[in-house]
Amino acid sequence: MEILDKERRVYVLGGGISKFAAERTDGNMRDWMNEAVIEALEDSGTKIEDIEHSTTSYFSDHFDKQLKAGAIFHDNIGMCPKPNVRVEGGGGTGGLAIRNAYAYIKSGLCDSMIVFGGENMGRQVPSDVAQQFIALASDTDWEVQVAGFYIAYYAMMMTAHMDRYGTKEEQFATISVKNHRNAMYNPKAHYPMDITVEDVMNSKMITYPYKLLDNCLLSDGAACLVFSTEEWAKKNARSWGAKPTIEVTGTGCGTDFMRMADRPFPDPGITHFRGKQFGSQQAYKMAGIKHPREDLDCFEVHDAYSGVELVSYEDLGLCKPGESGKLAEKGVFDLGGDLPTNTSGGLIGFGHPVGATGLGQGVEVLRQLRQEADPKRQVELNSKRGAMDSHGGTGTFCAINIFERRD
Amino acid sequence: MGLEQINTLMEVFTAEDPMPFMHPEGDPWKDFREVMRLEWKMDFTYKHVLGKYSKFFIELANKKFVTTECPGCGKVWGIPRPVCADCLTITKWKELPGTGTLVGYSVSQFVPAFMKVEIPYVLSVVKLDGADTPFTHQLRNYGDSTDNIKVGMPVKVAYTEEKVDHPLLLMYFEPA
Ligand SMILES: [Zn+2]
Repeated sequence: MEILDKERRVYVLGGGISKFAAERTDGNMRDWMNEAVIEALEDSGTKIEDIEHSTTSYFSDHFDKQLKAGAIFHDNIGMCPKPNVRVEGGGGTGGLAIRNAYAYIKSGLCDSMIVFGGENMGRQVPSDVAQQFIALASDTDWEVQVAGFYIAYYAMMMTAHMDRYGTKEEQFATISVKNHRNAMYNPKAHYPMDITVEDVMNSKMITYPYKLLDNCLLSDGAACLVFSTEEWAKKNARSWGAKPTIEVTGTGCGTDFMRMADRPFPDPGITHFRGKQFGSQQAYKMAGIKHPREDLDCFEVHDAYSGVELVSYEDLGLCKPGESGKLAEKGVFDLGGDLPTNTSGGLIGFGHPVGATGLGQGVEVLRQLRQEADPKRQVELNSKRGAMDSHGGTGTFCAINIFERRD
Repeated sequence: MGLEQINTLMEVFTAEDPMPFMHPEGDPWKDFREVMRLEWKMDFTYKHVLGKYSKFFIELANKKFVTTECPGCGKVWGIPRPVCADCLTITKWKELPGTGTLVGYSVSQFVPAFMKVEIPYVLSVVKLDGADTPFTHQLRNYGDSTDNIKVGMPVKVAYTEEKVDHPLLLMYFEPA
């Protein structure tokens, strides 16, 4: 895989996020999308009439009970008759949508693209119905029928990890503490909280080894990003030159079998995210990153459950297999540590409106690289690079994207 | 009659601005804060086809555990598939002894209401003897405590005697 046209580059001009919350009864998914779009247009200093293409990012047709909802989001912001495409890959949808923007612009199909994503996952259906909808993203003939659901799948992965490496519950509890804490400095976060490892350990056991506070949340919300070439930005974006220039320098994607059971045994077996290993290596190679823990200033990691973030560290090459728990305990991934992760609060603290999640990661990395984040969560810039990792299923679709500041 | 004319009406209420910190000049949506909420019920029944792995379920009713072996590369998939995903050869059915080893499990104290299972509920991944990849199913009859469950323990396929809502529930795993 070689990027042929090294001259043609893709930039992130701006982003917007509509507050993530347990339930946004003030509006519906269409309203949140509009809010995120308006903010992204303001942030990028662009006008919708100049933008050539859009990408829709949402996961579930069940939650919003509206098929081809992208048509509505697209027409609501006056994009007709310009082209739109929908991207879908479960929890990885937003990450794949960013990758899609890169591909479309890089190929020359368009010079500019607006990517909007959201999900209507809050409290409009009871939580057990929501769990059922999400379970439909595992194999409905073979997994759902044995009463499989997501926390149970992830819990199996984690018990396998604990058995293999001696990873401890207290170690992944630190992830929940960190992400809820980081969310305190993000006014758009769903679940900011100042808690301790003991609080996590003492929270209600849901599915061993995961307690209530190890889990991410079902959230309502939307996010949006605007991308373009340099030439287009110079002509159409007031932000160009006025705000730091942020380039998309790497994108990678990997997959694995839908059912964990089918994955090559014992490696990755049910322990590791093979798709994440594969996708991150692609992205690092493209961005010229050799040692991701040193070569990145921040990393938004897909923390659907606290242990998932630990295993992801290993599969993203931030540490060796089995090492993640000890490093997390030492604070390596805290604000002020070697590589701060989920400065936004992540899925656990910021929230997880699926189609918005990956785009929200992108907005966070953009804000960090522009040094626009709340001072309490702003990272120190050294390499001026930030990464995001987003996955669907139990690592079925994995998308890793890298932004870099060009001064 | 007004709002009472709407059979599905749940409520009309005034929503608060969820992002006042973004709007120091005042709420830009202030004219759009009256919200209506309806009840919307949907109920579907499908006539679902289990396709080319139907035989697996038919054999479960005969208390036999069958899966597929690839005549091309020899791989035995724990969960049957009509085409080998490694070499795309059409597979052959093969009966397994139904014994195996526990490779992962989780213990749920709460489950969504749609799942008709007893609490605590144990979902397990089992590497079956004679198969190259594992199989996912419930682990039952593990004794008086879930502490008895250990990765690496021997388990076997057991068959259900009562009526079930899905043929996959004709089996489960239990300690061997
Ligand atoms: Zn084969």
